Amino acid sequence: MDLSVVIRELRKIAGDDAVLDRPEDLMLYEYDGGLRKSTPGAVVFPQNTQQVSAIMRLASSAKIPIVARGAGTGLSGGAICKPGGIVMPFSRMNRVLEVDVENMRAVVQPGVVNLQLSEYVSHLGLYYAPDPSSQKACTIGGNVAENSGGPHTLLHGVTVNHVTGVEVVMPDGEIVHFGGKAAESYGYDMTGFYVGTEGTVGITTAVTVKLLRKPEAVKTLLGIFESVDDAAQTVSAITAAGITPAALEMMDSWMLRAIEEYCHAGYPLDAGAALLIEVEGLREMVEEQVVAISDACLQKKAREVRVAKDEEERALLWKGRKTAFGAVGRVAPSYYTQDGVVPRGKIPAVLAHIGDVAKKHNLIIGNIFHAGDGNLHPLIMFDERDKAQFDHVLEASEDILQYCIDVGGSITGEHGVGSEKRDMMTHLFTEEELDVMASLRNAFNRDGVLNPEKLLPAPRMCREMKGPSRNPILAQEGM
Amino acid sequence: MSTAAITTRLGRELTAICGAEHVTEAPPEHILGCVPAVAVRPGSAEEIAAILRFANENKLVVAPAGGLSQQETGKAPAQIDILLYTSRLTETEHYDPGDLTVGIGAGCTVAHLCNDISKDGLLFAPDPPLWERATIGGLLATGITGPRRHGYGALRDYCIGVRFVTGDGRMGKGGGRVVKNVAGYDMMKLLIGSWGTLAIITGASFKLFPYPRNCRTFVACFPNTSEAMAYRDRVLRSPLDPMCLELLSPQASALLTPGSPADSFWTISARGAGSDAVLARFRSELGAAVAHEMEGEKEAAFWRMVANFPALARERDPDSLLMTLMAPLRDVRRVLEVTDEVAAANGFTLGAVGRVGHGNLFVSLSPAVGQQLTKANYATVMRILAEQLPQDSSLTVLHCPAEARGEIPMLRTPTHFASMHAVKQALDPKDILNRGRFLF
Repeated sequence: MDLSVVIRELRKIAGDDAVLDRPEDLMLYEYDGGLRKSTPGAVVFPQNTQQVSAIMRLASSAKIPIVARGAGTGLSGGAICKPGGIVMPFSRMNRVLEVDVENMRAVVQPGVVNLQLSEYVSHLGLYYAPDPSSQKACTIGGNVAENSGGPHTLLHGVTVNHVTGVEVVMPDGEIVHFGGKAAESYGYDMTGFYVGTEGTVGITTAVTVKLLRKPEAVKTLLGIFESVDDAAQTVSAITAAGITPAALEMMDSWMLRAIEEYCHAGYPLDAGAALLIEVEGLREMVEEQVVAISDACLQKKAREVRVAKDEEERALLWKGRKTAFGAVGRVAPSYYTQDGVVPRGKIPAVLAHIGDVAKKHNLIIGNIFHAGDGNLHPLIMFDERDKAQFDHVLEASEDILQYCIDVGGSITGEHGVGSEKRDMMTHLFTEEELDVMASLRNAFNRDGVLNPEKLLPAPRMCREMKGPSRNPILAQEGM
Repeated sequence: MSTAAITTRLGRELTAICGAEHVTEAPPEHILGCVPAVAVRPGSAEEIAAILRFANENKLVVAPAGGLSQQETGKAPAQIDILLYTSRLTETEHYDPGDLTVGIGAGCTVAHLCNDISKDGLLFAPDPPLWERATIGGLLATGITGPRRHGYGALRDYCIGVRFVTGDGRMGKGGGRVVKNVAGYDMMKLLIGSWGTLAIITGASFKLFPYPRNCRTFVACFPNTSEAMAYRDRVLRSPLDPMCLELLSPQASALLTPGSPADSFWTISARGAGSDAVLARFRSELGAAVAHEMEGEKEAAFWRMVANFPALARERDPDSLLMTLMAPLRDVRRVLEVTDEVAAANGFTLGAVGRVGHGNLFVSLSPAVGQQLTKANYATVMRILAEQLPQDSSLTVLHCPAEARGEIPMLRTPTHFASMHAVKQALDPKDILNRGRFLF
């Protein structure tokens, strides 16, 4: 089907004002938080599930690639469509459909912004736990696709641990339901499987999430260290003391300076590393944990341990962490965020390795990450106008991720594989293991229309398509 | 272990893969009355893959087996060609006490793993029935755990990696050994609770937890379910974060703790851990409803009994209808009341335990004293229960008398059936694994 015909059909389904096809409009949808760009052929804004179903049927019959888009904050290229494909943002499906206090659940449309959900239920003493750093902008639908995490997932778990049901439009347009308001459902855990499939299995149109009661007490500490080694050892010491903090974040010296110069959170400018630690729960327990954590920090040679005295001080400490990426924007024209994971005991080794990689490629790499679960976020600074430097960035990234794999870790803890890391999947999984995953994807997304060239590595896609597609758009890039 | 000569073609094929000492023809054990042609104990995932490929070529039926602690579930199989034990897969794949993670072969028993890590002050959270026999593979395949579900979450929350062989003989993997990982599809979720119908699990990795210190159980007694549920709601709204929050019906107490005063009450037991100050806070929040406290050995034994309820109920009364239900929080009370009513109207008595803070119940319906029940009674009870089950609830029958087995649905789920079927087709297209017993 010709793209112009498809666009006409999209207008019939979603309305004239819900379809974009002018180049200057399409440009806004050619990128996300990752590195790569690709211009879609059309952008359509569905307003309800039935429209999503009709759009999906259209894309499937026309064999045009389609990708759902939340806020485009993803860092792995998950929301980028193949050139000429359809991008489907969910900004017009952004309502909280139901807050069910008795069952501690909310049912939301995928376009609801993560932080807005917590704000929406705040007056009930409730909140939604997963808190990606982009939570002011990112959507629940995108969080479901990527199985997003955040600082507080150390205690509470990532998105999949907080989703009990989904409404999904399948590639053939059928609207199906997995799970519901119960904590789990007998039968195959399709909900659990679906979360994190990065838009390759279906398109989410409603999500049932857990709401948690706000803790009675929260305390936030900042441990300041001369070296990352001391900070990393403190992470192990806290774990060994039997404490699972709600959040346990590390920032290296470079990041501390960048953040402090940007937002004046009161971070030290001359320290080797800092740990931002939060504990929550029963008042008595929190008080004991603050003492135990302070002791652990001091035993591991912390220069200073600050405990936020009030909500204002706590907010300031977190402001530094949550605006870190903005701070980096001031320092370098561009940066690339990696998302490797290592067993927690390997943190000092991997940080040393990142330092070596930075030297080898003559790059600046700052580290700000979820130390409590071994989830690293090396931020590699670069100037995208410098092509040679950009190549070094990619090489350095791969080097860091390979090191994570070599010590028993993973290439992504919370950002997803997307298009940017899919070729590295072969370093983590055997051909046969990837083949098992591909057979599941193909069971639902046989024609590869849903978010093609994501998550699973490239050669596999060619083989799955069983010969070149007759469709000109799918046929690009060797498909 | 077999000493008899191998006489069948199947036996010879399996011998070629695993060695004669690991193949038993016409084994003494049976699964719900069905005697397998051969029992085999492969020593590696590669051997399992070879067996499953052979089974595919010959359209054989394979039943995976661990400690045989949950094999009474599902429909009676019409045919089992190969009973495949994972008992030789017991290797520790990784163990890092500082990282609080372990990777272990599917054939290791839960008790063995728990004892191994307890020396490092660590806890493996799942507490399934019959933990001395239950294996890691069986634990994941059934998805059945015990009262620690309340405070530590479900298996899906802390199983961080899984190794398996699909029904069509491919060696697969999901996750890994780190606690946070979103690379690739979440195969753990698909395999947990799939009752061995998609793949044979060969090993898995888990998050561990610090062993709780200074535990105490606070038992509150109520004359009926509605008061018990009102108390549950109060606890859930409180700042307390108990490790366990368990409901026991009077009949369940009579079974688990015979002769105790709880026998005539509905009880809710909250288990806390922490300093004396924390426990004092539990005491003050839980208030006057608490009839007594338990600690030490007595407390540990009590929770072991509660975890064993499904096994004890089945053993005590082989004619019981035993099921596990998941319901939204608000509907737990209704499920209990409906089950009680339907049971009483059809000549059964109700025994129930459950993680009422999560909506996970284990319910046993036993023929009332002096009642002679027919398979029609069982079918009627199940039909009414299925009709009255609240929206979004699901149910699995864990045990029923042989004569009723063919008459009642073994599973009810709100999840889209065709999608589950698509998954089955993708991983076990020839329906080799546990054919006809569970979903398909």
